[in-house]
Amino acid sequence: MKNRTYHSILISKGTSRLRRLVSFFTRSWFFFITSISIFAVFLIILFVAKDALPYFHLRGIGEFFTSIKWYPASEPPEFGVLPIIFGSILVTILSTLISVPLALFSAFSLSDILPFSVRQVVKPIIEIIAAIPSVAYGFFALVIFAPFLQRSGGHLLGIGVWMIGMPLFGVIIIILGQAISGKFISSRSKISDFIIYSVLIVPAFHILYKLFKTLSAIKIESGTNAFNVSIILAIMALPTIVSVAEDVLFAAGREIREGSYALGATRAETLLKVVVPAVKSGIFAAVILGIMRALGETMVVWMASGNAAQIPDPIYNIMEPIRTLTATIAGDMGEADHVTGSARYHVLFAMALFLLIFSFAGNLISEWIMSRSRKKWGK
Amino acid sequence: MDLRSRKLLDKTFSGMGFFSIGMLMLSLIIILAPIFIKGTGAFLFKGTIEFRKFNFEQFNRGKKTDLLKEEFKTGEARKYIYDLISKFEEQIEKDDIPDAYKYEDELEETIYHIKELLGPFPGEESPVMMRDRYGASRWDKAKEIRDRILFVETWDYSDKSSMGKLTLTPRINNFRGTILENMFPYLENNLDKLMLPQITFYWNFFFDKSFDSHLFGGIGPELLGTLYLILGTMIFAIPIGIITAIYLTEFAKPGKIINFINISISTLAGVPSIVFGLFGLAFFIMTIKVSNSKSVLAGSLTLALLVLPTIIRASEEALKSVPLTYKEAALSLGAGKIYTIFKVILPAALPGILTGIVISMGRAAGETAPIIFTAAVSVGNPLKLFETLSQPTPALSWNIYNLVTEHESVESIRHVQFGMVFALVLLVLLLNLTAIILRARISKKLRG
Amino acid sequence: MKRITILFFALVLISSMIILSANQKIVIDGSTTVGPIVKAFAEYYMALNKNINVSVSESGSGNGAKSLINNKCDIATMSRFMKGKEFKAAVEKGISPVAHIVALDGLPILVHPSNPVQELTLEQVRNIFKGIIRNWKEVGGPDKKIILISRDTNSGTYETFSKLVMKKEKIVKECEYVGSNGAVKGRVQSTNNAIGYAGLGFVDRTVKALKINGIYPSKKTVTSGKYPIARPLFMFTNGYPKMGSHLYNFIRIYLTKKGQDIIKRIGFVPVTAYKK
Repeated sequence: MKNRTYHSILISKGTSRLRRLVSFFTRSWFFFITSISIFAVFLIILFVAKDALPYFHLRGIGEFFTSIKWYPASEPPEFGVLPIIFGSILVTILSTLISVPLALFSAFSLSDILPFSVRQVVKPIIEIIAAIPSVAYGFFALVIFAPFLQRSGGHLLGIGVWMIGMPLFGVIIIILGQAISGKFISSRSKISDFIIYSVLIVPAFHILYKLFKTLSAIKIESGTNAFNVSIILAIMALPTIVSVAEDVLFAAGREIREGSYALGATRAETLLKVVVPAVKSGIFAAVILGIMRALGETMVVWMASGNAAQIPDPIYNIMEPIRTLTATIAGDMGEADHVTGSARYHVLFAMALFLLIFSFAGNLISEWIMSRSRKKWGK
Repeated sequence: MDLRSRKLLDKTFSGMGFFSIGMLMLSLIIILAPIFIKGTGAFLFKGTIEFRKFNFEQFNRGKKTDLLKEEFKTGEARKYIYDLISKFEEQIEKDDIPDAYKYEDELEETIYHIKELLGPFPGEESPVMMRDRYGASRWDKAKEIRDRILFVETWDYSDKSSMGKLTLTPRINNFRGTILENMFPYLENNLDKLMLPQITFYWNFFFDKSFDSHLFGGIGPELLGTLYLILGTMIFAIPIGIITAIYLTEFAKPGKIINFINISISTLAGVPSIVFGLFGLAFFIMTIKVSNSKSVLAGSLTLALLVLPTIIRASEEALKSVPLTYKEAALSLGAGKIYTIFKVILPAALPGILTGIVISMGRAAGETAPIIFTAAVSVGNPLKLFETLSQPTPALSWNIYNLVTEHESVESIRHVQFGMVFALVLLVLLLNLTAIILRARISKKLRG
Repeated sequence: MKRITILFFALVLISSMIILSANQKIVIDGSTTVGPIVKAFAEYYMALNKNINVSVSESGSGNGAKSLINNKCDIATMSRFMKGKEFKAAVEKGISPVAHIVALDGLPILVHPSNPVQELTLEQVRNIFKGIIRNWKEVGGPDKKIILISRDTNSGTYETFSKLVMKKEKIVKECEYVGSNGAVKGRVQSTNNAIGYAGLGFVDRTVKALKINGIYPSKKTVTSGKYPIARPLFMFTNGYPKMGSHLYNFIRIYLTKKGQDIIKRIGFVPVTAYKK
């Protein structure tokens, strides 16, 4: 039923003038209130851009994006934001790498694998993870996790090697074993399988063990670094990705799954080869939302990233402190004097503008993807 | 690939699924457990007589007669120590012992620690700072100070290849042969008589204001500030949010305008929280000047923008899920559109809307970045209601950051930090629990 | 009818809130170095006067100056003097900043107590923060990397350090930045190969202050000027406070005996040395 029809039912020719007037005013008033959201977005863009542009007038575009020297207080001041952009991107990418596999597998479990009763327990747990305030996560990262990393960071890495390595290598061994025995052995039997797997396990175990040894020996000098922050951000972004991914997996429906099972596929194959490709845009949108969450987070990075405006050397050394855009805005706002109109103040708004543009882009992309998939599924 | 391997892969896949869920739950436990365990230590601990003295003198709690009886008991126990010290000081003054000057510095440090433990000496004028007016108020701190009295911390730098090692040499060795020597074993064996520890349930921790940089007292102003912020945020966000949702579901015609509104709302949802803070400062305080300094009002407006998308979306969902038959029935009975909305549809959608509201309350309580520049201060009195329009306030979220990073002695107030985090997390979890229960009731209604 | 009465009462409530909200308050913003002093003063003052609310923010000396210039606070606490630019901006906005020196401070160079190094020269500290000296063994300690902790650039303490120690040269990029003196102390006390700097009032048994050029930072060496990194701590007001007002009384606390005792107890050096 379209609104137009309602309107013509309610406001028929016979309606009194008063009723019409009231209806008109109410509609206008409601529209005005609704437009507050639009105003808010416009005002935010306006105020951020208004105070960001003077920076580019004062200093040009090049330095912001190319210089690696962040010395806003020195004379002459230098505003190379590149290491800070790098810091934001680094922790975002790292936390995404950690959270996406965990989140996707959790979403798979929730939608297809876990029994209903367990699901009822797990969903609230995920909501609790989402609800915990970011300053509490920052507190944990700084007060508990950072000293822990300084004391026994190496051991954590060592355990991580086994936790990630075992399933990963397990899958690889199974697939390889299959391929090998398929190609080279005419008659398969349990014994031939056993031999092949044993042969493959040895080098795999060797690699993992070596990795374990090297990583365990690492001594983390400073617990407030990119690694610390990335792990905590991954935990924070998880609920976003899980809930959206789980929604789209669920929305894919039973028919597509039943069709696949009917053809003899296992559950893993159904999920990976049938369901996921069907909803892959939704999953992509979920991942983008998770990325946005990690990019925009302020308190955790402010408290636990070390706030060093540097690109670590070597670049893969994530145990070094870094600095993000959000933490710089929060931390440097104090000295940046509005009144003297300095580049120092405006560069923070330039960073905020950068963040805004990124989050708008991410939002638009994920909205567009979701609307496309909604059209596809006819919802 | 043959069946066996496919089944094996399937099992591995399921295993990884369980593993991920397990990791999730494990991380939650790892994060929450220390907060809850150490957090309860902020208000449930063994308190000493110094704590009860503080409680009585500042808040008039406890019976005076009981306190006097306890003071008498500890007075007797402490007399031994005070007598020894004053006799020893006399000896040094009169040069009655060989090399008296050697002991002066040592004695001064020892007396400093004893005052840390027992408070000012009897007869001294009341010190100006509260931390000096009372001894150790918590039993665990008292034990720490006792160890500091009994042992001198020296660092052994002899091993050139590594950092110094902490060695504890008994302080008594510095006073061998003097009368003060007897104080140390006495202190060691009689600490409980000197301090009278008792299990204390300091539930007023959540209501008292803090004294002397949070060394004493509670987190009342911070908790109140957070509650004010929640209230203020909801006052602005709820009407705007619900009316927007009503407009979107009942009035708006599908087309460009509604698309635009939807995009704006989801854009608003994606703005990073620190940008909200910047905007709050630049717009609400600097431009339209809702207050001439930071204030709860400015902070509430900023937070309201932050939670608006959540409330709008939740209300939209709730309104859309009201069965069409309700509306049709009301209209067919002759009710006007507005009447139908407010008296029929809205009440039916209320549980869903409430869920969205409660979740937003949790967010408003926990967000820090929007209030850094608009509402939060580190120290301040708890505000009366009418002051919220123009004055800033301490708040749990900001003060957690402040106490953990900016405080001058983070180790000595560790228990207060944990208490604050505990209070905030508990508040947010209770709000979310309410939302979960509400949602369960809704789904039961829909199913039943 | 019911709705109208509700609306009426709401209006009355709000207008009374607006009227009554012109309550007595003193808003203080600024340095985290002066923070402990002004917080103790605030508590002392509020205990004596029940109807005034003194609120304290510690967002950095620069932010304090900014708030004062924008007339958003009554007192700006700063651990450095106002810069020329700030003065000019203040005057343009009709604010006349008046400086009150409330205490003296010596910037201690802090290390973990387990660090065997006891003293450094000013030049060594500079070279450490410039990244030229990277390992403790180069200055007589064990073979461990030096972790640098600095105050964030919104700080007067940072400005002092940059001027007096770094002689305006740049700090190496690997240096970690924290937002307050308390945070510097927190990082140094939990990381045994760290080096940082804060205010004198932040030294206790959990961190160690090094001798600089042979001089240990203490009350004596700071007042006599021997300690090379000494500086005054300020409170700035807009003009001189009106005599008898709350602001006037508060600003003058540091001149009273109780105020001096507080400053001494926190660990800074009172401007007038009282003899006991």
